[in-house]
Amino acid sequence: MTPSLAVRRKALAVRYPWFEGTLFAVSATLVFFVSSLIFFALLGRSPFLLFGELLSGSLGSSYGLTETLVKTIPILLCALATALPARLGLLTVGASGQFYMGAWCGTAMVLLFGHSHWAAMPLMFLGAFAGGAIWGLVPGFLRAKLEVNETLVTLLLNYVASLLVDWVVYGSWRDTSNLGWPATISFPQWVKLPLLINGSHLHSGLILALLIAVALHVVLSRSRWGLSLRILKSNLKLGEGVGFSWTGNVALVMGIGGAIAGLSGILETSCIHGRLESGIALNFGLTGFLVAWMAGQHMIRIIPLAFVMGALLSSGDALQLYAQLPEATAVVLQSILFCSVLATGGFLRRGRSP
Amino acid sequence: MTFIELLLGILLSGLRSATPLLQVLLGETITERAGVVNLGVEGQMLSGACAGFAVAAVTGNPWAGLFAGIVAGMLLSSVHAFLVLVAGANMFASGVAVWLLGGGLSAFFGIPFVGRRIDGFASPDFGGAAKLPLVGPILRVATPSVLIALATWVLCSLFLYRTRAGLRLRAVGESAESASTLGISPTKVRWAAILAGGALSGLGGASLSVDLVRNWVEWMTAGRGLVAVGLVIVARWNPWYALPAALLFGVVESLTLRLQALGVTISPYLLSTLPYLVCLGVLVWGSARARSKGGMPRDLAQVFSKTE
Amino acid sequence: MIRRILSMSIALAAATILLAGCGKKEESKAGGADSAKVGFIYVGPRTDYGYNYAMDQGRLQLEKDLGIKTVYFENIPENAEVERVMERMIGDGIKIIFATSYGYLDPALEVAAKHPDVIFMHGGGFKLAPNLGTFFADIDEVEYLSGMAAGACTKSGKLGFIAAHPIPQTLRNINAFTRGAQSMNPKVTMNVVWTGSWSDPTKEAEAANTLADQGIDVLTMHVDGPITIAQTAEKRGIMVCGYHADASQFAPKGWLTGAAWNWAPLMEKIVKSIQDSTWKSANLRGNIRDGYVKLASYGPAVPDPVKTKIDSVEKAFVGGAPLWIGPIVAQDGSVKAKAGDTLTRAQIESMDFLVKGVIGSVK
Repeated sequence: MTPSLAVRRKALAVRYPWFEGTLFAVSATLVFFVSSLIFFALLGRSPFLLFGELLSGSLGSSYGLTETLVKTIPILLCALATALPARLGLLTVGASGQFYMGAWCGTAMVLLFGHSHWAAMPLMFLGAFAGGAIWGLVPGFLRAKLEVNETLVTLLLNYVASLLVDWVVYGSWRDTSNLGWPATISFPQWVKLPLLINGSHLHSGLILALLIAVALHVVLSRSRWGLSLRILKSNLKLGEGVGFSWTGNVALVMGIGGAIAGLSGILETSCIHGRLESGIALNFGLTGFLVAWMAGQHMIRIIPLAFVMGALLSSGDALQLYAQLPEATAVVLQSILFCSVLATGGFLRRGRSP
Repeated sequence: MTFIELLLGILLSGLRSATPLLQVLLGETITERAGVVNLGVEGQMLSGACAGFAVAAVTGNPWAGLFAGIVAGMLLSSVHAFLVLVAGANMFASGVAVWLLGGGLSAFFGIPFVGRRIDGFASPDFGGAAKLPLVGPILRVATPSVLIALATWVLCSLFLYRTRAGLRLRAVGESAESASTLGISPTKVRWAAILAGGALSGLGGASLSVDLVRNWVEWMTAGRGLVAVGLVIVARWNPWYALPAALLFGVVESLTLRLQALGVTISPYLLSTLPYLVCLGVLVWGSARARSKGGMPRDLAQVFSKTE
Repeated sequence: MIRRILSMSIALAAATILLAGCGKKEESKAGGADSAKVGFIYVGPRTDYGYNYAMDQGRLQLEKDLGIKTVYFENIPENAEVERVMERMIGDGIKIIFATSYGYLDPALEVAAKHPDVIFMHGGGFKLAPNLGTFFADIDEVEYLSGMAAGACTKSGKLGFIAAHPIPQTLRNINAFTRGAQSMNPKVTMNVVWTGSWSDPTKEAEAANTLADQGIDVLTMHVDGPITIAQTAEKRGIMVCGYHADASQFAPKGWLTGAAWNWAPLMEKIVKSIQDSTWKSANLRGNIRDGYVKLASYGPAVPDPVKTKIDSVEKAFVGGAPLWIGPIVAQDGSVKAKAGDTLTRAQIESMDFLVKGVIGSVK
């Protein structure tokens, strides 16, 4: 950045507090569109047509809109599950493993107590929270006590969790009356949350997820605990000196984050699929990571971004149907978006302090 | 089968299984020795596998496939280098972005090649030697990928510890500041290290699709690239230890299938978790030792413990 | 403040592109999916020379023989995702949907309930709805024939079966194949290795190599695509019997034969019945007698006397001879069917054991 531009930028930033944020958002979006345009143009396709299909497919009809919202729920929850530990500086990509373990334990509860009309749902949620929390506490503990890099541990545990689900779904929990199809019995009606829109898959888990996001935001920005996290993250020695516990807080954020991801796991299992099956986590863990990152780990900003991602993912089959583009296109677009955000963020930061 | 034959068989099939992993491991070791972590090796492996398979299918030449894999890996790793070194993004996040990009692009462009047939490397006819009890299995496993991987192992280790360029690389990893006062450009060295890592992980992926499996399916590397990043810590950033580390994973992997073939009745899904759990266990043990006995390039240590 | 601006700018950009794209939408659809009335959904790629390939071959033959246009979707996962795909197809005017993979059943039922004017044909299921029927075929007899070739050609007496998951259909295949092999060579053993995934070429190659290391010289499989295993067998110089489709080009020397699907006749029958309004919701099944399954072409390694023997047994099956006739003894020695007794349809569909001679667990 030339000195005069940098000076002008500094002046604007001082005068309008929203300047930096807007500059970032607009630049990142521009970079994303330009990069995707180039990608599609290289394929010989009209980018505007494709974006049109993408948008009309995900938002242009009531069906598309509800499906987008359905996708938004797990992405939002997994993003929150990633953002909370990140407030302490922990980088976890383990939401999908915690998702699976939440689904695993929640399903176990349903299999054990599903007959009870009033106890089944609370126990199911408790199980999901516990399962997800444990899967978050293990890497947390390893990081706090043994300084093992939590990113790698969570990545490895993702694969283990997915296999554990396969183990029971193909083995002892398999519904034998379903011709050996690898899935558990159908969940009873009373463990499913009420639907927001009849005839769709959109369940009230959306409200729950939004409430959690708001609650986290309020707690983190207003409470003493939120303050302790900020201090510990920026200066560990200082934080511990003042009496905040590193280990305790690692456990808290990893445990709560894991529980949130576990919740998204059981919600998908019970309200969307109606039974535990293999491979239901799709890319939610990774997508959640991206969303959390792009939102700067800010709980409220995560909401609209999760919605955008949900639209992107749910439009995948619109692209396949109308544009004969493979499903992988959605993944490519996601990664281009993330790269754009990273590049823009990095350059803008550099430009600020030459 | 005698005990020796059994042991040899397990080691050899472990080696075969470990070959792609070894390439990625060596590449990432070089990158991390310069002070950069690249989680995108998984995506680089996938793009190498896809490009390698595609070129081998179209040209009918497996060597061209391996070369294409190297190029693809380098191209993708240059995105990571750009994001981290030029744009100044967080290297873990950038790695994840590159991982996704590699996976998505390879899945996207690999579609026309699913179900294609490639010839792979022609198996040389060893004649009578192939039937010998101990020599035979060794000859069978010695496909070009395995030999290239072993050669790379030796070359990388010698490079790091016996050449001036290797010394410069290590200096940059220990302290970029001090290195630059000595006239070494950390940015240039890191660019080279990331690209080298990309070349090797692309080669690893191509070895998988062109030689060992001779097939292409999207996301076929199943997390091996990420396992490699973990194993770098296990090998304490020392390329000489890369071979035993990769072998460990490879042996456990092929052991899980072998146990089944021997009639062991543990669930195959539980058995499949073993490689990851073993890797995790060794990672924990390795991290503890790295802390107490050192081995981690100092600049990297800051990256790992303060991850933001 | 910042967050509001952020979300606003994203929404603004999105709206702009939406408006820009809206106007051009009509062009892209002209002549495309409009004229197609039949849609196919596959769980994997149609070029896998396996399950999906076989279904797609049926589709292509359907297009040719009946002169209708079809569309297909590949790589659609077996969960609620497929509902979205179906909804979009219906929104595009598709009136007949072939959901070719088992896991699509419940989603298909849900979508069927919302669109009574669309007919759904599901592959492999047993639940019905007024506008949903199922179709499949028994491939057991052909697996038996394929096994006969393996039993006759093996020199080491050791056979290998690489399978994805221990579901009844796979167990039936393993048992039928083994019994066929045993009929030619009573002493053969069959090693089963589970890969835990319908498609994992790395594991499949590793499994094939492991089995070959142990002296197995004929491989067969039940995974989505036979390519990797056929190629690995060829590289190791051992023989292979295929599954789903004819993949002999991947193992020119070692290919013996294989059990393959022949979906076209069944699919054409279904579509024709819909076209002349005689379609009824039912569980359509067939087997070697109806020609819905067939033996793949023989490879060079199968000697003529063996071919003759197999042909004669094939004729017997087509003539009505039962496959699952006792004595059938499980691995643990328990008798599943006494000499002369046949297994019931229900017992076959829910098979949960492996026969004697098979090494490997059902879990």
